[in-house]
Amino acid sequence: MKRDARRFRFGMAPGAQPGHTCCGLRSALRKPGLRPPLLSLLFSVLLCGLFAQGLGLAAAPTAAQLQFFENHVRPILSENCYKCHSQQAEKIKAGLLLDTREGVLKGGDSGPAIVPGDPEHSLLVKAIRYTDPDLQMPPKGRKLPDTVIADLVAWVQMGAPDPRAGGAPKQWADKAHWWAWQPLKEPPVPQVQDSSWSKTPVDNFILAKLDEKGLKPNPPADKRTLLRRATFDLIGLPPTEQEIQNFLNDDSPDAFAKVVDRLLASPHYGERWGRHWLDVARYSDTKGQIRRQREDPNYPFAWTYRDYVIRSFNEDKPFNLFIIEQLAADKLPATRNNLTNLCALGFLTVGDRFMGMQNDIINDRIDVVTKGFLGLTVTCARCHDHKFDPIPTKDYYSLRGVFASCTEPPIEPVIVRDLNGTNYADYYKQRMDLERVKDSFPARLRELRRARDRQGLRKIQREMRENESSIVQLELTHPGAPPRAMVLEDVRRPQDSPVFIRGDAGNKGPLVARHFLEVLSGAARPPFTNGSGRLDLAWAIASKNNPMTARVLINRLWLNHFGEGFVPTPDDFGTTSEPPSHPELLDYLASRFMAEGWSLKKMHRLIMLSSVYQESSAYNARYAQVDPDNRLLWRANIRRLEFEALRDSLLAIGGDLDPTMYGRPVNIEQEPYSTRRTIYGRVDRANLADVLINFDFANPDMPNGRRHETTVPQQALFLMNSPLVIEQAKHLVALPDFSSCTDETARVQFLYERIYQRPAQAEEVQLGLDFIGAASDQVSSMGAEPGPDFQQVSTERQRAQVGPAGRRRFGNRPGMRRREPLKPWQEYAHALLQANEASFIN
Amino acid sequence: MRNRRPPAGVSYGIIIVMNGDNKFMREHSARLEDLFITRRQFLQRAGMGFGMLGLATLLGEQLLGSTAQAETIATLAPRKPPFPAKAKHVIHIFAQGAPSHVDTWDPKPALAQYDGKEIPGMDGVAMASPFKFSKHGNSGIEVSEVFPKLSELVDDLAVVRSMYTDIPAHEVATVFMNTGSTRLARPSLGSWVLYGLGTENQNMPGFVSLRPGGTPPGGSSNWQASFLPGIYQGVSVNTRVPSVYQLMQNIRNQYTSLPEQRRQLDLVYKLNELHSQNLEKDAQLEARMQAFEMAFKMQTEATDAFDLNKEPQAMRDLYGRTPQGNQLLIARRLIERGVRFVQVWAGGWDHHQDLEERLPERAKDIDQPLAALLNDLKQRQLLDETLVIWGGEFGRKPVRDRNGNDNPGRDHNGKAFSTVLAGGGVRGGMVYGATDEFGAAAVENKVHVHDLHATILALLGFDHRQLTYRYNGRDFRLTDVSGEVVKPVIA
Repeated sequence: MKRDARRFRFGMAPGAQPGHTCCGLRSALRKPGLRPPLLSLLFSVLLCGLFAQGLGLAAAPTAAQLQFFENHVRPILSENCYKCHSQQAEKIKAGLLLDTREGVLKGGDSGPAIVPGDPEHSLLVKAIRYTDPDLQMPPKGRKLPDTVIADLVAWVQMGAPDPRAGGAPKQWADKAHWWAWQPLKEPPVPQVQDSSWSKTPVDNFILAKLDEKGLKPNPPADKRTLLRRATFDLIGLPPTEQEIQNFLNDDSPDAFAKVVDRLLASPHYGERWGRHWLDVARYSDTKGQIRRQREDPNYPFAWTYRDYVIRSFNEDKPFNLFIIEQLAADKLPATRNNLTNLCALGFLTVGDRFMGMQNDIINDRIDVVTKGFLGLTVTCARCHDHKFDPIPTKDYYSLRGVFASCTEPPIEPVIVRDLNGTNYADYYKQRMDLERVKDSFPARLRELRRARDRQGLRKIQREMRENESSIVQLELTHPGAPPRAMVLEDVRRPQDSPVFIRGDAGNKGPLVARHFLEVLSGAARPPFTNGSGRLDLAWAIASKNNPMTARVLINRLWLNHFGEGFVPTPDDFGTTSEPPSHPELLDYLASRFMAEGWSLKKMHRLIMLSSVYQESSAYNARYAQVDPDNRLLWRANIRRLEFEALRDSLLAIGGDLDPTMYGRPVNIEQEPYSTRRTIYGRVDRANLADVLINFDFANPDMPNGRRHETTVPQQALFLMNSPLVIEQAKHLVALPDFSSCTDETARVQFLYERIYQRPAQAEEVQLGLDFIGAASDQVSSMGAEPGPDFQQVSTERQRAQVGPAGRRRFGNRPGMRRREPLKPWQEYAHALLQANEASFIN
Repeated sequence: MRNRRPPAGVSYGIIIVMNGDNKFMREHSARLEDLFITRRQFLQRAGMGFGMLGLATLLGEQLLGSTAQAETIATLAPRKPPFPAKAKHVIHIFAQGAPSHVDTWDPKPALAQYDGKEIPGMDGVAMASPFKFSKHGNSGIEVSEVFPKLSELVDDLAVVRSMYTDIPAHEVATVFMNTGSTRLARPSLGSWVLYGLGTENQNMPGFVSLRPGGTPPGGSSNWQASFLPGIYQGVSVNTRVPSVYQLMQNIRNQYTSLPEQRRQLDLVYKLNELHSQNLEKDAQLEARMQAFEMAFKMQTEATDAFDLNKEPQAMRDLYGRTPQGNQLLIARRLIERGVRFVQVWAGGWDHHQDLEERLPERAKDIDQPLAALLNDLKQRQLLDETLVIWGGEFGRKPVRDRNGNDNPGRDHNGKAFSTVLAGGGVRGGMVYGATDEFGAAAVENKVHVHDLHATILALLGFDHRQLTYRYNGRDFRLTDVSGEVVKPVIA
């Protein structure tokens, strides 16, 4: 029995025939495990203590308390405060409403008016006491009598019992008509005066807006520019010389369509667009905040989710299915035949671990689901009703019920069935050994506890931690370790969640049914019935009747093609966001997207074959006055390459790019670094690589529909000094095609063709020749000698403390590796790699 | 031609292209409004047709007057806070591990009376401080003997004895002290300060975090920019690496000499100029050229700041040639160069056991260096404008930790701890707030972590409620929805 149980947990014993249960989710043995929830319990207690102390809000006020309120509180508020702080007020002052319970708790611009149970931290009490000259209420010296003040203080002290019904906050009244939650209808394609420009209906929408302002779209970009733009856009790499020649030589009307089709069929497409999605999915290979005593920081299998995303994009998986799999792949019958789909659930599980705080983990999952698919900031409603959008706290806890009814099995299920071979046998043995050690812990722990052997306890804790790490490392590095999926599954008895009053888990309000958001499905929505409700939730999100999902996705698509979305805040379509620049076009695309089977590739094609995508980026001073941000798209935006595309293209240009796809994360940070595509680099959310931070990589702690775009010296330092970049320059001039150039002009041309995918102009050739000419005079006279400005930080301990980079130190120059000085042509190639053109798309 | 290479001696800002409205700037400073704006707003306002430098000059002259250097729409450019401020820089020395307040800054004679006995209403037996306290300076503030040098400077210090925090677990509380958030990712204090004030030396990072090897609990959460733009992230520097070249990634070129690199960069500028001719001076493209120029200077200037061999031997001795001595000396060199915020990790205070022997070691680590720093800053007339903070993430209990056995220590206590402030507009020679008779909990003039943050921002010239950043539809701030300025500690 024991042996069988193990088999289920770790995949099959070598040579065994896979049975239908061996990889099943539910068959994983549940072992109580050795994680005494002591620390988390401690936190909970502390948290509860904290909140209970600060927010001791009685769940239901007693009759006596209510009487006190009616006799001593309501009259005072009504007489002295309502004039400025109620919904009847002519002008509500400081955003503070005191005529509802919610209003008092929510407070105004300065924060909550009261902290129930804590008068000393209640602004209202402070104000009526007149202790702060800047905060005195009622104003103008009309201080309340001391007895009245004492009554209010007593009321706050007892937890501010308040029978007044909240009702929908006033500020939502006018939010019902916000465009984003209106039903989606396919708008008619507008007629335009000059129809010759329009290649697709998309162009009609664009042109109609330009016409309104009297603007004309730019002429088309030249073929090289267009090819470079399209290639970077779809696969994140520059076009090869052969591809350029093919396109230049193809005069057929559908030449560009062929290019788009070729690029969409490339496996690199998924590496490019999958990465955009991983930004949204806050992907990371590590857990973030963990209990360090007990946990290993790595997710050994996060990469299986990353690979699932890449595959899904390459397969053009219908986006509605993509949604459903990421929320509930375990519930789909088709998954039984394709266990790889279980990896989709990584969308929910690769988030931060918040030191094991379940409510924060759930919050993170609600966040990624609602921002990622719906463009709604639902997590704002964790502690109070959403301040701007019609999302009541109840809706948050409705979703909390869904995710609180889910759990992660102690052992992730194996997703490939090929478990033969010596590697697997070796892995299996090692894992078994580690498990045997692990199994010995409970008994040893009990013994040590009984003997009160503190030293022994400390030692065993260390051992447990090491055992845990060894297992993770084995899974992460052993060639025979089978890939597994980071799944989520329903608990046996799913339950509705109570509302946590003001987000306080220790202060539970009424239970709320698990169902979809009211703003999108109406108040009369049916409750979720299928287990935890994840699948129901997925269906609701992927429903054609839900207007948000397609709009949000199309906006993401547009943003990544044009550098700006219709809505500039892709993760927030709420009422504080800017309305779309082209609402009709957005709805047109969203409607077609759903009607045509939720195919992203069809949308790419439709958009890219439109004239608006193919415009030149040429500047027009007059137009820039009318539409300085190019919101109407009279020209193509100049865009900077994201770090992935920049690094990948440098490697491709130097001929160093390793196109291997998929698999465990690789080191892209330090020499010797991997030359695989950047998407395969390890992402450590607790310690994000400097180079990623410096280049505005998406913060893996939150969903990111768009990255910041900053320009900082650290980016320049990377291009100027990083061995990765410089080695590419060296590789370039070592290429046979470079050496076989007949003269120096041909060499310049070769480098331009290779790096910028265009021939050099006469002036540029001259600059190159001048640079080479001047360098020849002083060739190699200056090497990379650190020179007299070499210093050491401190004299103490430095010999002993040699970091990773220090391994390569020589002589007395730790951190500086002797490298052969660049030859003039290498230096020239390096200059070309640093110049703007290599980092931007026109 | 314009912009081939920015003229020497001009400091450049950094352009950020991003989305988001900025309420703080919009509402609270007419000047800043025009300096710190999104590219979109900026271009709407200024129109095109100027090169960035032209615009910069224009803006610089119109908005900053003659006092400021020409700046672009700089997110790191120095700017004035909305309110008058004394502090311009911050050195935050983080005594990670939670120093025992009753053994350092908060004397509790009652503990001696109850030593070894149960304290009424408390779990466990009292532990008297093994250290003597005595009065120092004109102010007569009592300080423990573990800080002999610092106690001489007590008239410069504001000792806040009534600090408290939410959750007394190291990682949570450490990140809380640095970000105002217990778990959710939020920008760090230094990032907020950099966002609000920019920095004075564009050839240096504006926010530097120094650590003597290792990683503190919470890791980069403690200096992260979170949803603020990445330029506000602290640059974390391991001061134990043996060479200045390892302090920052790619800080030096290992193939090309500086003069040769200069020649190469000149070529890059020319290439960029040709490239952008048709694109009409796209602001982003030009910002990038400036970033290269900054990077070039950083190669020497940033490494220079970390080079302690440039300090006189006597100065090195004054700080002590120890890891913390080196860190604080580097901190001073950074402040001197205009760096806005320096975070210094000086931990090791988690004394569950053997407090009598181990606490003085940690105190010794910081006593001489911190005293030297304060004296040095004073001598250079930098103390007035530099806020120096020493403190941990929480305090410790007045009772013996059960694990201590014969060598007792103290367990965690979130309800009371002491934080020491100096310089930067802080009133010296004062004690603020008090704990109860045993030091178990702050009772008088309690100062929550949010209150401390509010006070730090106030010293820097900000209303903590107004320094906000809009992220996903909501204005966020360091102090979340609370925080009150501790006015009495402000001179």
